[in-house]
Amino acid sequence: MRFKSGFARTLALGVAAVAVALAFDGAVHLLMAQNPFGGPRPPGAAEPQIGGIVGWILARQSEFYREISATIRAAKSDGSAVWTLLAISFAYGIFHAAGPGHGKAVISSYLVASQETARRGIVLSFASALMQSLVAVVIVAICAWLLNATASTMCNAEKTIEIASYALIAAFGARLVWTKGGGFIRALQVQRPVPAMAAAQQHHRDHSHDHDHDDDHDHVHDAHDGHSHGPVPSELEGPGGWRRGLAAILTVGVRPCSGAILVLVFALAQGLFWAGIAATFVMGLGTAITVATIAVIAVSAKDVARWLSGAGEGGGTLVMRGIEFGAAGLVLLLGAGLLFGYIAAERVTCL
Amino acid sequence: MSIARCLSSLLLAGLLMAGSGVAQAHPHVWITAVSELLYAPDGSISGVRHAWTFDDMFSTYALQGIETKQKGVYSREELGSLAQTNVESLHEFAFFTFAKADGKKQKFNEPVDYYLEYKDTALTLHFTLPLKTPVKPKELVLEVFDPAFFIDFKLAEKDPVKLVGAPEGCQMKLQRPSDGTASAQKLNEQTFMGDGANANYGAMFANKITVDCP
Repeated sequence: MRFKSGFARTLALGVAAVAVALAFDGAVHLLMAQNPFGGPRPPGAAEPQIGGIVGWILARQSEFYREISATIRAAKSDGSAVWTLLAISFAYGIFHAAGPGHGKAVISSYLVASQETARRGIVLSFASALMQSLVAVVIVAICAWLLNATASTMCNAEKTIEIASYALIAAFGARLVWTKGGGFIRALQVQRPVPAMAAAQQHHRDHSHDHDHDDDHDHVHDAHDGHSHGPVPSELEGPGGWRRGLAAILTVGVRPCSGAILVLVFALAQGLFWAGIAATFVMGLGTAITVATIAVIAVSAKDVARWLSGAGEGGGTLVMRGIEFGAAGLVLLLGAGLLFGYIAAERVTCL
Repeated sequence: MSIARCLSSLLLAGLLMAGSGVAQAHPHVWITAVSELLYAPDGSISGVRHAWTFDDMFSTYALQGIETKQKGVYSREELGSLAQTNVESLHEFAFFTFAKADGKKQKFNEPVDYYLEYKDTALTLHFTLPLKTPVKPKELVLEVFDPAFFIDFKLAEKDPVKLVGAPEGCQMKLQRPSDGTASAQKLNEQTFMGDGANANYGAMFANKITVDCP
């Protein structure tokens, strides 16, 4: 009986998810067909090869980026252009963050690996984006403005920071794997949960909530029921919890955005450094919104998985611990891949 | 329950991937390229001469910290060290230039005759890439692109490729990357002249030059 209801629920949800995805993609395509890039599609033009959402994002991003330099130039004579600059920077940040290098994958995986709430995901996204902006401003202020260093010096500094950040991601991932591996192995060892606990979880399962109660009794039940995986909620909200979050912020935030550095140097050369700084922070705000959105999707997906797998049961716990372990492994793989050059797509190119 | 669990895990994986699937590389530098294919008197191809014009923002960025006698005016000499840095850095990226002679990959020597030019707020890097061994193929394919897509290469709208000293009867074809912009679409149609070029695009962002000689 339970098999049936669980299966039906999964199927229904899967179908719904696919339907939503298709509807979204369709809507975007429709939008593009009507108004591809600011004008009607020329008749007979071939379908763009890199179509769909990604192509649209890339094209938008290029557009905004090109406008940034033009607007900074305009702001030299017309102060009101600064407002346009901020608006464009904000939009650019939103689209730009859809590309790699803004910690989406790291933050999302971290949130899935640790039992984090969507709210904390949003805070982490904004804090790391703020730090990225700050690092970019500090680099340009020191290297270009104070020391008048050349672009290649600055770019090499950027590259060094980048490599350090990849090492940080790998180290962060290794630590997550270490802690999550323990939870996963313990969950593997547990054959059946304590009946009373299972009943309690059964109750919780039917409500939607975003932290799991099966984690509440970590240290207490560690030895005998295997429900030992992660800190208690109060711990998460306390100073210790934020310190762990800080590691995620530092890991992601230490790597500045190359785009921001370019904009800052450009603004500096035009004698409008302050406008560049303002644009950088507004860009960071846009970036944060995108990263936070994806982080929330990741956390929600985990909640859905928890609900579907019936986290209260022994097997459900195993699935959740497995997902967390997998997400931790993903952070480690990402860091190692970036560090050793297997993932080179977002590497800073110094010319 | 196991099927449900399996499906739910797959669903989660799918959702996560949908999130990160958008993770495409994005360019930070835009280059407008003009290239010349250099032919030796005997009709073999000896090298490629590039003139790459950087976008406004990157040009300004590259000029950061360069001392000049006159503000805003950069002579070829003043840009000399920067040009050298540029070509030296390009080595790591195989000069973003990939040549195949009758399907066989060709290697380039280090660039020669390189210099930078600053005009209308844009920097242009000129350099010649000699082929390690000159070739005389029936078909030469030259691609210019950044595999990491940090740089977005675009062939210039007007006369992007010249064959210098090519034997008679050599025919050149161009394929521009279709980046989804209307202008690129239009250019495709103008440049290809219906030569069946719409058939197969190469690498997504590659500018592909094909020269067929009898």
